[in-house]
Amino acid sequence: MAEGKKPRALATQAAAKIAKFVKGNLSATLKAKEEGKKVAYAYIADGQDEIMRAMDIVPGWGESFAGVCAAKRDAEQYLQKAESDDFSRSLCTYATCTIGFDMIREELKGEPVPGAPWGGMARPDMILGSGQLLCDPRFKWPQATQHYLQDVPVFVGSMYYPPFDPNVDHKSQEKFYVKYATEELRELVKFCEKHTGKKMDWDRLAATVELSDRTWDLFIDTYELRKAIPTPMDTGDAMNTMVPFTFNLGTQEAYDFYKDLYDELIQKIAEKKGVADEEKYRVIWAAGLPSWFALGDFQYFNDKGVVFPVEVTYRGGEKIERLELPKTNDPLEHIAWRWVRYWTHWYDKARKRPGSVPKVERIIEYIEDYKCDGAVFHSAFSCRSWHAGIIHQAETLKKVYKDFPVLIMEGDIVDISSYNEADTHNRIDAFVETLEASKKRQN
Amino acid sequence: MTAFQDGKGLATAEKHYSHYGARAKELKAEGKKIIGYLSALCPVEIMTAAGVVPIRMVGNVSESITKGDAYMETIVCPFVRNVFDSAIKGRYTFLDGMVLPHQCDSIDRTNDVWRDNLKLPYWHFINFPHVTDDPSIEFTKEILRLFINTLEDFTGKKISDETIVQAIKLHNENRRLMRDLYDFRKSNPPLISGAEMMKVLVAAMSLPVEESSALIKDVIEEIKKRSPVSSGKSARIMLIGDQVDDVAIIEAIEGTGASVVMDELSIGAKMYWEDVDITPDPVQGIAERYLRKLKIPTTFVGEGNTYQENLDARFGQIKQHISEFKVNGAILFIYKYCDPYGFEVPAMKSYIESSGAKVLYLEDEYSTSTLARMKTRIEAFLEMIA
Repeated sequence: MAEGKKPRALATQAAAKIAKFVKGNLSATLKAKEEGKKVAYAYIADGQDEIMRAMDIVPGWGESFAGVCAAKRDAEQYLQKAESDDFSRSLCTYATCTIGFDMIREELKGEPVPGAPWGGMARPDMILGSGQLLCDPRFKWPQATQHYLQDVPVFVGSMYYPPFDPNVDHKSQEKFYVKYATEELRELVKFCEKHTGKKMDWDRLAATVELSDRTWDLFIDTYELRKAIPTPMDTGDAMNTMVPFTFNLGTQEAYDFYKDLYDELIQKIAEKKGVADEEKYRVIWAAGLPSWFALGDFQYFNDKGVVFPVEVTYRGGEKIERLELPKTNDPLEHIAWRWVRYWTHWYDKARKRPGSVPKVERIIEYIEDYKCDGAVFHSAFSCRSWHAGIIHQAETLKKVYKDFPVLIMEGDIVDISSYNEADTHNRIDAFVETLEASKKRQN
Repeated sequence: MTAFQDGKGLATAEKHYSHYGARAKELKAEGKKIIGYLSALCPVEIMTAAGVVPIRMVGNVSESITKGDAYMETIVCPFVRNVFDSAIKGRYTFLDGMVLPHQCDSIDRTNDVWRDNLKLPYWHFINFPHVTDDPSIEFTKEILRLFINTLEDFTGKKISDETIVQAIKLHNENRRLMRDLYDFRKSNPPLISGAEMMKVLVAAMSLPVEESSALIKDVIEEIKKRSPVSSGKSARIMLIGDQVDDVAIIEAIEGTGASVVMDELSIGAKMYWEDVDITPDPVQGIAERYLRKLKIPTTFVGEGNTYQENLDARFGQIKQHISEFKVNGAILFIYKYCDPYGFEVPAMKSYIESSGAKVLYLEDEYSTSTLARMKTRIEAFLEMIA
């Protein structure tokens, strides 16, 4: 039932600043031309942030643009435009939403699209994709976009990490994975130099990488403050506060944002200010991108006394010292080590628990550290990369904890046609009852 | 189809098609190790060199998914789900192991699900890159060497370069024979029907390479004896997609009087058109063949100076097939939830249309449950071509 629904209330002041960040990123692409800068379509977690920042390339983030369209419930026209040229509705809707927007902008000869959220994105000068284990659209989306922007050069690099095998120590493979990732980053630098007409300033890159490392550390330090009871911030806010880390890595603004957030959370903890009026249940957002058009559902959880002190989604980093990165003077190799070690960080733990997998070990670590009573997953129909394998994770989790409430929600990231609010809230209600029963049994 | 009564080649193909994996079971009983694999991206040469019997896994389009959905999300590729459902229901109990090459998210993201539920003695995920530049070739050689090492550990036997070269020669010969068989589809009407060809293709990938080659040779001998009998003008269709491994869709097309004369499927022309070069380090030739020569949408090709050059590099072989096999209509048969193929559709469609052939794009499940709806669209398309 939809009664009692409140608009999403942000728990932190920092999260309220995020709209400005997102808008700033979009408008940076629109202003780039007059500032003599190049715009690159870019995709998150590709390890390319520092190279773009060090070369003054302005990233145009398709995932962010599509997320904004979804949050404003304004994506349908772009999805339909893409569909009109035979892009299936079952494909990644971040991609199809943005491609639909690109198609309309091309029909307008590159001029801004009237009514596009916050002015939309500028026509890019290049597209920087990445073939990797993270998702297929990261290399298919650039290729599909080029069909409509045929003069725009596309680079697709590679950022691989060893796959998990319970019987193999992945560390024996790390070196050649890092070598490969480093070489691919070097190819990206060459490509960017060619298309910007500028040489890489390697000292600037090294400083940018160092700033990113500090941001990774501060980001994790800040998020770990959420272990406090009551938690001062939950996933509803984190789906906003992830923006600087995800889209502005390698900038001072991102670092400063987390400094402010850190200070704010310290203050809230001192004042024992929680997210919910009464924090009854602590739940992990264990996997899945959110429905950007339905972030108000976090409020629905909060109103029932359910808070999310931790989430896997968009927590795309770890304390650098925990990754034990080998020393190198090559900033590209450092980036490669950082990503390879991050993606394989939970492998050793998983090998120690027969039948487990790294994704589950990560969830277990967070459940223990943040004292969670249950787990929520979100399965988005248009995204295989994040959402295939969720059943296996949930089942493995249940085997480890026996009596542990798990909810798998279903929907999409962008396509609102998949969403039914009443049904979603009914499922949440049932989950809360399960949490209650489980807690009673444990007491 | 009466054609299968012609002689021993087609009848044998029919047997292996209808009783998929029967030969593997026999070989298992004789003490051979049987390794199942998914996708055209799996370097079968290495498995042959290891002395194991590779068998490409298929699902069952006529059977609903009844158990797999409890383990694997419905947003996963319908083909992958169906094969997994077959496996979990016991169709592949004769396997000693499985190899999953990193083709797409649907395979990569379900690797744990397969491994942890099937619990086979041997398991390997080949982490093929999506990029084809020089560093990617060097990387691919590393992951192929890892693959070789795991097979050596499993079989307890060293795999020498000479053995790999021998296996490459056997598989190249197999591909050459299959291409010879494809030649019989060039005449009007083709000497071998699309449905017959599909059965040969499916049978061939269920057998050890020498037996597969012997089968193709027998089929060629049979087909040679046929004489073309023109049934008048009919549409010549090319079927494009990934693993279409059942005659249902072909029969739906040919049932209207059209001929399926060519394919660009991952069990068909994609697999047989390009050989492995024999290089001083045989792993180099294998890496180049699977990364650069094999045309599948999960390897990024974009080094051309213009977009048109990129299209030619990605789809040029399709245009060549259209010309050589006198194709006048192409059907893109793409599975739902398939990002790699799905994102190619507008580009591929317009590229094919630029060759003069008409295109029908169908998005479907790996299931005959939707066949009636597909048939209606196919019939309308074929009428348009006529």
